[in-house]
Amino acid sequence: MLLPVLLRPSRCCARVSGILTQCVRTPSSPAGHFLLRPHSRGLKGGGRKSQSQEERWRSRNKTVLTYIAAAGVGMIGLTYASVPLYRLYCQASGLGGAAVAGHDTEQVETMEPVKGRVLKISFNADTHASMQWNFRPQQSEIFVVPGETALAFYRAKNPTNKPIIGISTYNVVPFDAGQYFNKIQCFCFEEQRLNPHEEVDMPVFFYIDPEFDEDPRMARVDTITLSYTFFEAKEGQKLPLPGYSYN
Amino acid sequence: MSTAMNFGSKSFKPRAPDKGAFPLDHFGECKAFKETFMKCLRDNNFDNSQCRLQSKDYLECRMENQLMAQEPLTKLGFKDLMEPPPSQADGDAEP
Repeated sequence: MLLPVLLRPSRCCARVSGILTQCVRTPSSPAGHFLLRPHSRGLKGGGRKSQSQEERWRSRNKTVLTYIAAAGVGMIGLTYASVPLYRLYCQASGLGGAAVAGHDTEQVETMEPVKGRVLKISFNADTHASMQWNFRPQQSEIFVVPGETALAFYRAKNPTNKPIIGISTYNVVPFDAGQYFNKIQCFCFEEQRLNPHEEVDMPVFFYIDPEFDEDPRMARVDTITLSYTFFEAKEGQKLPLPGYSYN
Repeated sequence: MSTAMNFGSKSFKPRAPDKGAFPLDHFGECKAFKETFMKCLRDNNFDNSQCRLQSKDYLECRMENQLMAQEPLTKLGFKDLMEPPPSQADGDAEP
């Protein structure tokens, strides 16, 4: 019983070599047939039954290979098609460019504060090494709840004898909480000019999206740090506003 | 700023504020309201919910002095403070 099983591999090898030589000998044969063409090499008397079985395997293998190749080609095509498809989806669902918790200005009017979840917002202020302003927050932390608008102040002083123009950007830590941190109005991304020895208060008006409370990833987040950094701006330089595309 | 140079991870993308930037208060016109607000914060252990009335006053001052675009305060999230409270328990407005 085991002998036919043991003999099979050698027969397969013989058959494969037979197929290859047959390909070489008849190059004009249609491609679809060469796998199925019966041949007489390496065949002994009682092998006809297994020969048709081999043929069936081969045809089945060929079918399977064809399906796999078609699936591979289909997936590659889907990859290419996904870009316009995603754009269509964004247009249809109105999410725009950022498929995150989309906030809009109407939400500020209708959102309800989530009273049970108190968050500590701590404030950090930095300046670039060559920026000579004194820039610091006026409160080190503030306790807010999601859905409630909050006001916070920074103070900047220009201790030098010449006007300095500054421009700032911000960062929110933890990273994932940054998508829920919405600023209604602040002092960033626009040039701010301070005259010599002038000191101003800079407010930030913001809120945390109420959906923050429903995000399971944010369940253990109690502190959010808002960090502003001021750079010195050269005269006439325009920073592109993030999120807006200039066409 | 994200200082890591790993290209696989997401980087922080700052978003522009909804209503743009506050013009600077060079003349300190609303400084008094700011001081009231900061004092309220210090007295209430920096709890923002207790000082919303003061923050509303500050923003109103800004609007009056052309330091902020005029906007109905309900659109800034103060609708609970705007409702005329005959006998309404308005926990946010208590200074």
